[in-house]
Amino acid sequence: MTGNLSRAFSALGDRTRFAIVDQLLRDGEKSAGEIVDSVSLSAPAVSRHLKVLHSAGVLDRRVARQKRLYTVRPDMIRAINRWTMDHQAFWSSALDRLEQALNKDGLDD
Amino acid sequence: MTDVVLERQFAAPIEKVFDYISSPEKVLVWWGPESVTVRNADLNFGQVGPWTSEMHAKDGTIFKVSGEVTEVDPPHSVIFTWAWHDDTDVRGHESQVQIVLAKQGGGTNFTLIHRNLASDESAQSHTAGWTSSIGRLEAEF
Repeated sequence: MTGNLSRAFSALGDRTRFAIVDQLLRDGEKSAGEIVDSVSLSAPAVSRHLKVLHSAGVLDRRVARQKRLYTVRPDMIRAINRWTMDHQAFWSSALDRLEQALNKDGLDD
Repeated sequence: MTDVVLERQFAAPIEKVFDYISSPEKVLVWWGPESVTVRNADLNFGQVGPWTSEMHAKDGTIFKVSGEVTEVDPPHSVIFTWAWHDDTDVRGHESQVQIVLAKQGGGTNFTLIHRNLASDESAQSHTAGWTSSIGRLEAEF
């Protein structure tokens, strides 16, 4: 997974590709044509970016009615999430419960 | 290598907060991230010696973490080492956790410093989701 992740991050390291993924995360599935309309680049340039994102495992692609439709792969989102779920989150969640326990204990006194 | 630092202000007096971070049965109340069940835990941070705990996620994944309590200074501080175990129960990179309490009025200033974390540690050890943060991240998007 670590290797896949570094490919994903490297694909996302480009500003245009990041913007495309960001847009797909917000709006859901879009066709290549709709993506071209939303970024100010030529169709071949967008197509190249989509290819990079697809081969890095960031995007899923399906063809419907002669359109190429793209979505962000949910397993990639989860993988990124797991990777960023760090000790900060571990402790911060634990300390929230510690605080609740202390407050509750105070009421019982 | 990275450090994590968290600071909190608790309304409880320092002795009580220390009790909650050093008595095994009280540590159990808050130990771990959301939505995991803590099992096979020996979380005695009140005395120098080994500690261990397993966290069982809903999908069946087990996260084991253990270490050694190296310093206890009631009611001010506790220091212990920390390392995740892999699937074959081998301990990975060791980091250090220090909890420091300071009296502030009737309450307590709480500082937790997790030092010397390997930068790729979360990728290696958190092979399954801490479900609480998945929701949070997905909400972000």
